[in-house]
Amino acid sequence: MNIIETDGLCKQYGAALRVSHLNLRVPEGSVYGFLGPNGAGKSTTLKMLLGLVRPTAGNIRVLGKSMDGANRLSVLRQVGSLIESPSYYGHLTGEENLRIVQTLRDVPEKDIREVLEIVRLEGQRDKKVAHYSLGMKQRLGLAAALLGYPKLLILDEPTNGLDPAGIQEMRELICGLPERFGMTVVVSSHLLSEIDQMADHVAIIREGELVFQDSLSALHSRSRHHLALRTTNNPVARLLMAEKEISCHEEEGYLILPILADEDAARLTVFFAERRLGLLRLEERQKSLEDIFLELTGKAASL
Amino acid sequence: MKLLSLEFFKCRRRKIVLVCAAVLAVELMWMLTFFTRQDEEDMQWGWMLLLYNLSMVDAIVLPLSVATLASRSCELEHRGSTWKLLETMAAPDSLYAAKLGWGALVLAALLSIRTGLFTGLGLAVGFPGPVPWGRLGLFTLVSWAVSMMAYALQQGLSLRFANQAAALVCGIAGSFLGILSMLFPPALTRCVPWGYYGLLALVGMNWDEMTRVTDFYWRWPQLTDIALLLVWGTAFLLLGRAMFLKKEV
Repeated sequence: MNIIETDGLCKQYGAALRVSHLNLRVPEGSVYGFLGPNGAGKSTTLKMLLGLVRPTAGNIRVLGKSMDGANRLSVLRQVGSLIESPSYYGHLTGEENLRIVQTLRDVPEKDIREVLEIVRLEGQRDKKVAHYSLGMKQRLGLAAALLGYPKLLILDEPTNGLDPAGIQEMRELICGLPERFGMTVVVSSHLLSEIDQMADHVAIIREGELVFQDSLSALHSRSRHHLALRTTNNPVARLLMAEKEISCHEEEGYLILPILADEDAARLTVFFAERRLGLLRLEERQKSLEDIFLELTGKAASL
Repeated sequence: MKLLSLEFFKCRRRKIVLVCAAVLAVELMWMLTFFTRQDEEDMQWGWMLLLYNLSMVDAIVLPLSVATLASRSCELEHRGSTWKLLETMAAPDSLYAAKLGWGALVLAALLSIRTGLFTGLGLAVGFPGPVPWGRLGLFTLVSWAVSMMAYALQQGLSLRFANQAAALVCGIAGSFLGILSMLFPPALTRCVPWGYYGLLALVGMNWDEMTRVTDFYWRWPQLTDIALLLVWGTAFLLLGRAMFLKKEV
């Protein structure tokens, strides 16, 4: 079952279509990485999922219910969120901040202590949030999102601005949530490596358009090994390989074909020689995830 | 009710009590200075003299005070980027109403204490005649109603613009126009929102140019002015609410 489904989701600002016909499918119980370069429309999409931004067109279903004005708040009672920078009252303590969320969500008071322990802020609960570091504010934001243990957690760039230790800590926290509390987590990032380490499903968005959506393993399978070869006459080589039922395509003067066993590769070179076709290059290549990301988004992996 | 009580919770350590105390101190000092300059004959006007001058002081002090209170309440949301959190748990119009409710209660408390303070001052100074409890109560209600109209305007601005300078400049302009409008003909004063502190004053003054004698008289607010105050208040409320609801976080 999908916990989030969108159909033809669009958002237009002026003449610019910032989010274009998104059909998202977030499987229940997954850590769903929402990946894209800065300005691709990730935050706008997540805000639309929460009803903070009105879609120009399209439908959103969260937890099986349509996210319209009438039942938006009842659906959101089971959704925790941390959008962009953390939200907090700097003049109040961490515990007082959580008390506001606890009162509004109408969840048990004991949850405050528990979520403070989960994000490891129990020692700082009486400190004013204005005196927290950015990492502590992010963790407080996560604690607020966890109050009431919602079924769905939407986190927008939760590691933004954190130091490496903070990133590692946040990542561990997020990864453990589905197993510990049965939550589904949607986490956005512009860093491929981050999503690679956290998510089991991934969607890639480029200039508001969804360019990939599947499991992370499906994304990894795109990075499998392949052979690249160049001959004295590539068109003839393609015909000969078609005869042998070897699929291939041409890229920048090279014929790209699936990885072959050593014996098959040897037989192919002999076959070419018998047909008086010169083999100039035979290389084994592997596409990295970065290459795939670059291919899909047209931008470098961490832009 | 939950949202309203949270507004008070959120305003902890925001020095709201200090702001209110400052308002009371300014009004008290102003009136004390005024009374010390009056001769015994003028002081015989007692309660009328108090309420007449308090209307003027209100017109100067309350517009900026109202702007400050609205700003203190709204700024904390902008500063902590809390709208995107709050609006996932409460409807925006409820949040708007809770802020307005907070302002209404704070102003009611402030103005009630103010009336109590000046009633005590009148008794201490020994104003002649019985304490006009009904007039004092009505004066408090009028001050509150005009302040709420101004509060609706200020809240609209403070919620719309994260930078509170615009709202505070409006408050300062209100203080200036509030007192200046008392010199305008009534038709023009009705066009100035802050002019209603003077328009709805419960005491009028006659000054005889020939004898150079001033006398005061009780009066009732005109129904037209009350209706216009409601129109202003409703307009500011609806406009401010519409701007707030339209804004995406």
